[in-house]
Amino acid sequence: MGAMNDVLVWSATAVAVAVALAGLASTLARRRIGLVHLAGAAVLEVLLVVQAVVAGVALAGGERPPETATFLGYLGGVVLLPVAGVLWSRTEPSRWAGTVLAVASLVTAVMVWRLVQLWEAPGV
Amino acid sequence: MSEREPAGTAPGGTAAGPGRVLVAVYAVFALAAGARAAVQLATRFSEAPVAYLLSALAAAVYVVATVGLARGGRTGRRTALGAIAVELAGVLVVGTLSLADPAAFPDETVWSAFGRGYGFVPLVLPVLGLLWLRRRTPASGGMPGSGG
Repeated sequence: MGAMNDVLVWSATAVAVAVALAGLASTLARRRIGLVHLAGAAVLEVLLVVQAVVAGVALAGGERPPETATFLGYLGGVVLLPVAGVLWSRTEPSRWAGTVLAVASLVTAVMVWRLVQLWEAPGV
Repeated sequence: MSEREPAGTAPGGTAAGPGRVLVAVYAVFALAAGARAAVQLATRFSEAPVAYLLSALAAAVYVVATVGLARGGRTGRRTALGAIAVELAGVLVVGTLSLADPAAFPDETVWSAFGRGYGFVPLVLPVLGLLWLRRRTPASGGMPGSGG
């Protein structure tokens, strides 16, 4: 898989989906987000940072996906996304904070898989 | 029942409660469309200038809508309304054209095939945006949102 580590990709996906479900659950329960959400988002962030470092090492080692610029854009974006999601949801005093976090988490999961696609895409 | 209802930043605020989710989704699309347009314009502008400029237009529309919704208030709502109207027209026109004349759109844009590449969210988003704006407009002919 080159720059995209199987274990990291699947772990990040699982954690992202879990955080999204927890967020939706808190919205349905009419509650604000709690420590579980923040802890989950933190784990997700750590996984993404480790993945970004792994990808950075592969890139530094001379491996290149066909669309390097796009790949780098996604790599930078995916690391910032959970942080942005947490910040934007923490300032929301209603039950909708959970949905905000869920959106950010699901987009994170999608972006991780886009990164896998971009890395594995056949060169033009 | 005991939860605090989102008060918003001002009467007619559009960034609180469900609006915060909407702003988040708009921000994601502003970023996605913007990044895609930047890459397309920078690396292969000559291949399909019209499609790529439309991509850039879509990105700009999402940015304006995001800012309008996030700021709220009278100006914010008007700005968002304009941007979302353009967005709805854009996704319908580009969506139709991209299916009718695929050769003109060799590369995916956010609005291609009504946003199929993005789970049709680009098609649903402006509708939700307009509904939300209507709900958040202070009563002056419109009904205050009574749930539903």
